[in-house]
Amino acid sequence: MRRATWAGVLFLTLVGSFVLSIWLGSVELSPSEVIAALSGRGDPTNRLIVVQIRAPRAVLAILVGGGLALAGAVFQALLRNPLAEPYILGISGGAATGAVLALALGLVASHSWALPAASFAGAILAVVLVLRVALAADDRVDVRVLLLAGVVVGAFFAACIAFILSISDARTVRSAVLWMMGSLAGADWATVATVALYTIPAAVLLTGLARPLNLMAIGEDTAGYLGANVESVKRTAYVVASLLTAAGVAATGVIGFVGLIVPHGVRLVVGSDYRSLLPLSFLAGAVFLTLADVVARTVLSPTEIPIGVITAFVGVPLFLVLLRRSMGGRQR
Amino acid sequence: MWLARTRGHRDALASVLRLVRFVNSWSVAFLRLSTCALIVSHLACAGEAALPERDASQFPSDTSLEAFPVEVVDDSGVRHRFQAPPTRIVSLVPSATQTLLALGVGGRLVGRTDYDQLSELAALPSVGGGLQPNLEVLVSLEPDFVVRFEGESDQATADRLTDLGIPNFAIRPDGIDDVLSSIERLGLITNQRVAADALLEEIRGNLADVAARVEGRPRRRVVYLMGGEPPWVAGPGTYIDELMVSGGAVNVFDDLEGLYGPISLEELITREVDLVLVSDEGGSPDLIDMEHASIPSWVEVPGPGLGEAASLIARFIHPEAFP
Repeated sequence: MRRATWAGVLFLTLVGSFVLSIWLGSVELSPSEVIAALSGRGDPTNRLIVVQIRAPRAVLAILVGGGLALAGAVFQALLRNPLAEPYILGISGGAATGAVLALALGLVASHSWALPAASFAGAILAVVLVLRVALAADDRVDVRVLLLAGVVVGAFFAACIAFILSISDARTVRSAVLWMMGSLAGADWATVATVALYTIPAAVLLTGLARPLNLMAIGEDTAGYLGANVESVKRTAYVVASLLTAAGVAATGVIGFVGLIVPHGVRLVVGSDYRSLLPLSFLAGAVFLTLADVVARTVLSPTEIPIGVITAFVGVPLFLVLLRRSMGGRQR
Repeated sequence: MWLARTRGHRDALASVLRLVRFVNSWSVAFLRLSTCALIVSHLACAGEAALPERDASQFPSDTSLEAFPVEVVDDSGVRHRFQAPPTRIVSLVPSATQTLLALGVGGRLVGRTDYDQLSELAALPSVGGGLQPNLEVLVSLEPDFVVRFEGESDQATADRLTDLGIPNFAIRPDGIDDVLSSIERLGLITNQRVAADALLEEIRGNLADVAARVEGRPRRRVVYLMGGEPPWVAGPGTYIDELMVSGGAVNVFDDLEGLYGPISLEELITREVDLVLVSDEGGSPDLIDMEHASIPSWVEVPGPGLGEAASLIARFIHPEAFP
């Protein structure tokens, strides 16, 4: 199928997932009740549930899922490593360190914005550190050094977290664990607006890098001969994809798997032309996380399953099927 | 002893590795889930165990509303004003749930958490855990009063409840005084002051009785072990520490940073310990040559059972004082 067809299919699926997401939940609502609530009529409790709880959550799932998948696709292109995912360069570690520190210092109880702010700051610190380390080795960004720097910085932050938690009390450990599991449960419209402010411009910018990323897939030197400004593309892609990830992590904690599996899945279906891969990854990631969230909050209702569990449970079999199909296709 | 020590090291290492892997990898989602469930269920929400029998109907309801409107400050420092006693209550804090039952207002509860498994609550819809409850279920119950944990553990829920216009009352039952004060305030809010006073009297009576019995006896060195590997103990500032001290003991880990925390097994072995109180729920490391006693899990609910808990703990520490 052509790119436009896939985009259309995914977009319709996304709309469907969104509808599902505000219709289904722990509290059973009929479609007419949902519509009434959305149009500002009906029972005030239902209105609260649909407009203030489900809708912001669904939009956040779209933004974060899309953002993570897009960032994953960009990192895989940039690092030319199939294992790359949005957190590979230490962003989750930096964000978690910031979050855990804010929790341990007790800043969170007095200022509710302290947790996302601290985790965002931690993520940015990780980005800066990784870039500095990579540039210290060479004034051109060598993606292998970048990858190594990311893994090392990530390990350092992991040690910081383990240390802070080991000297913290039970409350801090508990909240840190809850945070690190990742959840969309805290979604409100203010969070959605903040994340959108990062995600939408970043997504537009990154999709714009599709052509140079295509060239770089052939090889950095070749891309240079063909007129791509390789250095600037690498740095822009790295920084913007990192910011995109950081915004998501700050809002929802560490949600794994979307950024790894969705781009690979999309690649298996549409091939590795980044002009299709990047936008379709965003759409597919949005669909994936929205549906995963529906499952996470309905299956064991009222208890919510951590969304990372669902993304892995659903993602792995799905990915294996895709992998098998595409391998089978190649052999024939 | 040697065996216990090696096991301790290995498991300490394993748990550090676990934490490290938390952060980096999605593949440990499982592990995260189980570890969290362990920590959360054990430390925050242990509440399912049967409490000693108590007949709430012995307390008449306060019929007059002359005290209202009342203003009560919660443990986050927020002043709440109640025009009338709340009629639709959800308590996210198991100890507060039990207090409300003991005050005779169990009938006003419209929801419970997964950790409240007392039979009289079984018919109520659950909002999931006490931390990060399912907001949408909570909202659908239309509560006019939600009791929640104070503190950074779950600030998101607190903020969301406030945003959604649901009165949420924060309590943090750390020490004995906190527990007594939360009983008093819940009595005030629910207009059950007579019942609250009787309950407080009973608890204070038990504490005084315990104090009189252990007075002048040598203080024994006691550890309260909550299980986990490395094991967690109760430190200063917790009601458990205070119950041990009032029961004629010295808390061996009165230098612990924070309320509850992990200690190394070596510390436990090398410090001078007369008695180890082991939480029934937690499971314990091998205490081969240490005197120990098993503590039923209702003791770990800082609510109406506090008086009985004081007597029980003192009885283990100084059995000779309870002939």
